[in-house]
Amino acid sequence: MSEPLLAARGVSVRFGGLVAVDGVDLDVRAGELVGIIGPNGAGKTTFFHTLSGVLAPTAGRVLVGGDDLTGKPPHAYAAHGVARTFQTPRVFKEMPAIDNVRFGLEFAGRTRQHAHDAFDEAETILEFLGLADVAAVPAGGLTPSRQRLLEIGMALGARPRVLLLDEVAAGLTHAEVDASAQLIRRVRDELGLAVVWIEHAVRVLMNYVERVAVLHQGRKIADGDPRAVAKDPAVVEAYLGEEGEPERRAA
Amino acid sequence: MNSRHALLALLAGGLALAALPWLLSDFLLALALSCVMYAGLAVSWSMFCGPTNYLSLATAAFFGLGTYVTAWGAGALPYGLSVLAGGLVAAGFAALIGAAVLHLRGAYFAVITFGMGELVRHGITYYEKAFEGTVGRIIAEAPESTTVYWMVLLVSMGAVAAAVLVRDHRLGLALRGIGSDEERAQTLGVNARRSKIAAFALSAFFAGALGAAMAVRWTYIDPLTVFNPFIGFQTVLIAMVGGAQTILGPIASAVVFGLLTEFLRLQFPYLFLVILGFLLILLVLYLPGGIASLFERWRWRRGNV
Ligand SMILES: Nc1ncnc2c1ncn2[C@@H]1O[C@H](COP(=O)(O)OP(=O)(O)O)[C@@H](O)[C@H]1O
Ligand SMILES: [Mg+2]
Repeated sequence: MSEPLLAARGVSVRFGGLVAVDGVDLDVRAGELVGIIGPNGAGKTTFFHTLSGVLAPTAGRVLVGGDDLTGKPPHAYAAHGVARTFQTPRVFKEMPAIDNVRFGLEFAGRTRQHAHDAFDEAETILEFLGLADVAAVPAGGLTPSRQRLLEIGMALGARPRVLLLDEVAAGLTHAEVDASAQLIRRVRDELGLAVVWIEHAVRVLMNYVERVAVLHQGRKIADGDPRAVAKDPAVVEAYLGEEGEPERRAA
Repeated sequence: MNSRHALLALLAGGLALAALPWLLSDFLLALALSCVMYAGLAVSWSMFCGPTNYLSLATAAFFGLGTYVTAWGAGALPYGLSVLAGGLVAAGFAALIGAAVLHLRGAYFAVITFGMGELVRHGITYYEKAFEGTVGRIIAEAPESTTVYWMVLLVSMGAVAAAVLVRDHRLGLALRGIGSDEERAQTLGVNARRSKIAAFALSAFFAGALGAAMAVRWTYIDPLTVFNPFIGFQTVLIAMVGGAQTILGPIASAVVFGLLTEFLRLQFPYLFLVILGFLLILLVLYLPGGIASLFERWRWRRGNV
């Protein structure tokens, strides 16, 4: 098997007395589309922070393309091809939508050429996301769900090798979720990206990913085929009282 | 307007302004000099502080350092070289302290940059007392006032040209990203630390060069005169009133302020300051983008009819 593009080795994050992420291992290979699920407060977002350099893990290591980037600033991760979205959209509000996408192209994406050129133009990326008509609108004036889509566009602009998506489907309509998922699969297929996709709502994710990991109270309690994971007693237990049995919701 | 058009317009404007010494009386030329200097200071301040939303009060420190470079080099260095050296010393100083304090934001950054100015001022005073036995120095030979005017004009035009180029290139985009959401910009590949230090130093270069160019206007230079915090405040005021996100705003505002200061201050010294203070408060509260944002709004509305 090829070397993982992204590897977390025993990653932990402590906030004072609280262990938000607890010794998580995760390997993601080129072309993989991996889901991460877990109840609210399970540590999913915090884990993403460590994978993108936003937060240095208090223990463990993060490797991208075989290089140990632990403790490096976020731009080092971006330069290595890690691009992410934020759960609460953090678009550049004053800039037109198109400049938000152009931003990544000018910085992290500048040194990397994709095999395909389909995503090398800010206009094309906006079109794929159905945002072509608002290209000139300042991003702060877009509806929350469109800002969420624009977040994906910003990350794609960075021409990632690894794409980290934090609850991009939240608040979108069924059709929009489907369109985003198609797009994500498509960039994955065309560009051979590794995609890690966090979703709180289990049902959304299970239909689109080929592998899923489950976080619970900071620990990874399952990792594998979605159908098998959904039947895992530990997973069912974690989700009981939270939002019901994941298997039923995934069906 | 793209860079090339803006730079051509700048060149045309600069050439027209260069003819002023033949058209104006000495008094009016001195007034023009003050306007051009403040335009250069305000544009260089806005170059960094506009897009990043940093509030730097270090202008007086950079300016003062520049004047001292001229004062120390007077006699040894030709005027043009003093100006260049003044800019470089200020830029080097800015890079050094920038590396130490640019992670701070808001009031902390403002206070610490102000403190830096005081530190340099007292440092120089101490040095002169301890090692030279005097405070202050005399500049014996000064160039013609027209030469000074042309030099200040040249440096200010350089500041405007640099501001245009920064705005239209990646550094400007990086600075706007940093101003909007620094961490987000970093996750998209911006080396925020390096971009901020580079822009801060570039902006300091012009303030220092202007100080070095203006130094010869004083015959007697002492720290209290040239590290005058008023120069720094006035610069910030001009830039914010004009609109620090733009380049034309601070230029226009510098001219208006230059004229107002000269005419009103002579006649109503206290009332003038009171009005200025009120104006600043009103602007910060109701028009944080400065006067220039009014024009943007107007243009935007017209475009949407
Ligand atoms: N900056 C922070 N300081 C202190 N606690 C935090 C911080 N960020 C997150 N937490 C806590 O860490 C835990 C995990 O949060 P998070 O990673 O956001 O979970 P998820 O994304 O899975 O909902 C939560 O208990 C949260 O309150
Ligand atoms: Mg979260």
